[in-house]
Amino acid sequence: MSRRPKSPPEAEADPFFVGWAPAAPVHRRTLLVSAGATLLAGAGVSAAIASQQAPVGPGGWDTQVRSWTGWLQRTPYPSLLIREDDGALRTAWLAGMGKQSVAPIIPEGLSGAVTVQGSLIARGPHRMIAGTGAPDWIAASPDAPPTPDPGYEEEIGAALIFGEVLDAKCWFGAMKPATGKTHKACAALCARGGLPLAFCDERSCGDALAAPLFLDADGRAHTADILPFVADPVAARGTLVRVRDTVQFRVAVSSLRRV
Amino acid sequence: MGHDYKAVQWSPFKRLYDAALALGVLSFIGVFVAASILASPVEAGGREAAAPIQLLIRATGAAGFGLLTLILAIGPLARLTRTAAPLLFNRRHLGVACFLIALAHGSLVTLWYHGFSDLNPLVSLLVSNPRYDSIRGFPFESLGLAALLILFVMAATSHDFWNATLGPRLWKSVHMAVYPAYALLLAHIFLGAIQNETSPLYPLLAGGAAALVAGLHLTAGLKENAIPRSVARTGEWIRVGPPHDIPDGRARIVTPPRGERIAVFRDGARIHAISNVCRHQGGPLGEGRIIDGCVTCPWHGFQYRPSDGCSPPPYSEKIATYRTRLVDGEIEVEPDPLPPGTPVDATTLPEGRR
Repeated sequence: MSRRPKSPPEAEADPFFVGWAPAAPVHRRTLLVSAGATLLAGAGVSAAIASQQAPVGPGGWDTQVRSWTGWLQRTPYPSLLIREDDGALRTAWLAGMGKQSVAPIIPEGLSGAVTVQGSLIARGPHRMIAGTGAPDWIAASPDAPPTPDPGYEEEIGAALIFGEVLDAKCWFGAMKPATGKTHKACAALCARGGLPLAFCDERSCGDALAAPLFLDADGRAHTADILPFVADPVAARGTLVRVRDTVQFRVAVSSLRRV
Repeated sequence: MGHDYKAVQWSPFKRLYDAALALGVLSFIGVFVAASILASPVEAGGREAAAPIQLLIRATGAAGFGLLTLILAIGPLARLTRTAAPLLFNRRHLGVACFLIALAHGSLVTLWYHGFSDLNPLVSLLVSNPRYDSIRGFPFESLGLAALLILFVMAATSHDFWNATLGPRLWKSVHMAVYPAYALLLAHIFLGAIQNETSPLYPLLAGGAAALVAGLHLTAGLKENAIPRSVARTGEWIRVGPPHDIPDGRARIVTPPRGERIAVFRDGARIHAISNVCRHQGGPLGEGRIIDGCVTCPWHGFQYRPSDGCSPPPYSEKIATYRTRLVDGEIEVEPDPLPPGTPVDATTLPEGRR
């Protein structure tokens, strides 16, 4: 609607705001003062909210695509064993660019030494390579030495840990933060897609450097039965096992309890 | 109904208002992102800050909730003090901005947390967490989605075209859904983001915002109810008081035993009575004033001739009118409304009482 009558002289003495009429100085002042105060208060609240956020941890994703050569492992999740400069073997888990496992796109029959094209997601001692998914993202590397002996398992002991089932890719650095309820849907999609799972202690889920790989009681990847528990606070009773440079937390789904 | 409609009626004041709104929203989000980065710990590999998209998700969520709190605070504030009336005028733009911020928040969440998988992100949004039987595990996303849908309906119908098409009563009812939307957002925050955080600041701020909105509405409601419901005297007529107690161009509001409140205006030596309820959005006409011979609503400036309750041409809104009279030096008003747009002779004050 368009109504533009003149402002009556008495409006100066008795200011009355009419949106379509020329605003009196007092009304412009009210708006500016209110806007200024709200802006300052909003900035203060915004800074306070921002500064109190829980830590997100040290992980990160370097999206630059690089090549790695190592020995392909298919279980419990696809991984690459990489010989470090000091001669030690180090595990780098393999993942896709999204929330899917790379298992379906590793050519059948491929084994031994391979070269992988991807980008590195890293947190503390953990490494994960997000494969590019291009047709040649993984290829045999015939010049590499033979596959090293499989690592022996060393049982660390039984454990009851209060914490959270994580999807390792996000927690290693694909997402920040990557824990808790707000991340549950994402973690469930990653778990559903077959990406590696990990388990964090509730006291340090946000900022811990390391977390054990989360497997079933037999040391295999969990099935879809784990999905209802992903990202929920749980008590997990199981066994800690070391395999080469990786600590595994082996827990039967039936022994998980929500807390 | 109004005469014609344009997408937006701009005025220098509205431009100033919208500029302040844009600056406020951008500065809130900018400060949030900057403060998040500056507050994050510095390690050997650099700052351990949240991912940029996740920072934006948080910033837009906080900004949307803060803006909705502000929107809900302005209404009762304008009832408590006339000073806040200019803030009420352009509140619809705040509402549309709030919806757009909430949409950005929801879109980023859907893309980031529910995307990059072979499951449709919208399906994931609805099925990823089925724990509706648990408070702690409740899928808070569904609450946010419900609030977003309400905000969408309100934003889509915010223009006066919809007010006129749906009718003021239905339009108002639709827009009262902002309160359920606010409640849904509070639940969304308490069952979602706050569960992820350890600082007591978050529940304090969200709870404080809700308490502020509730407190302002309660105070404004108590002020409204302080206007006593009149008891009929001299048959069915209501005593309003001496005419010179009403400032020139202003009104006194009386509450009849039944029905809507009545605004009794003094326009120089003439006394008129009309419905207190504006046809546009139910604004309190009795808190308005007479400008250019027309009663002008304090909320959005809709106008009515006091003599017949009709908006001046080319507009076509009509409100009820009432008969008045002067008895023993005091104004009285008949409590029964006449049909909207009915002309009524003004009560003319004698020389000595003007």
